[in-house]
Amino acid sequence: MSEKRKYKKRFCKYCESKVEFMDYKDVGALRFSLSERYKIMPRRLTGNCKRHQDMITIVIKRARAAALIPYTVTRKAVVTAPFENLK
Amino acid sequence: MRHYENLVIVKPTLTAEEIHSSIAAIEEVITSNGGEIATTDAMGMRKLAYPINKNERGYFHVIYYTIAPSAISEIERRFRINEELLRFVTIKYDTNREIAAWNKLVEKAKKGTTAPKAETEVAVEETAVEAEAAAE
Repeated sequence: MSEKRKYKKRFCKYCESKVEFMDYKDVGALRFSLSERYKIMPRRLTGNCKRHQDMITIVIKRARAAALIPYTVTRKAVVTAPFENLK
Repeated sequence: MRHYENLVIVKPTLTAEEIHSSIAAIEEVITSNGGEIATTDAMGMRKLAYPINKNERGYFHVIYYTIAPSAISEIERRFRINEELLRFVTIKYDTNREIAAWNKLVEKAKKGTTAPKAETEVAVEETAVEAEAAAE
């Protein structure tokens, strides 16, 4: 009963800024929900709400199909192409 | 009529004139099938995130248009035949919220032909050259 909350309370960054629509061409906005290797970050780590996580998942997959962001990053590519290069 | 957006990637090996003519041909495919092009946005030559058919770069072009849903399959069929295209992505804007976003994107594209985020390396080089010329 006297358990304290171990972690800071998570909140959805997209709800806070009232994002209604995401554009897959805006690669800079997708960075928040992508890992170093361009995997989609899970909700438990980013704190996104279900609705916005669903939106970002669709948008990231579209951007991958359009060759705006890579599907996978190998160990070699991680070194040669850091995150900042892609914009 | 439904709102759509198409992103096409044209082969980088073509010359500038050939790229323009192929994009005109792509737009002609849409208009000949009864589509109305709202605006286009040339994102320009960009580096691809991964090689497509051994090409490292590609010319990105975005077309916003409205068309009857039944015509999309024909347009995509024509795009698949076109050998100058590396890739195309068709996005449907269906709900009211998405259509509002579509209108915003169209307005944004009309203001500046290239969005500031979509600035290409080529454009940056050009501005750098201009700055040098101004300094001289």
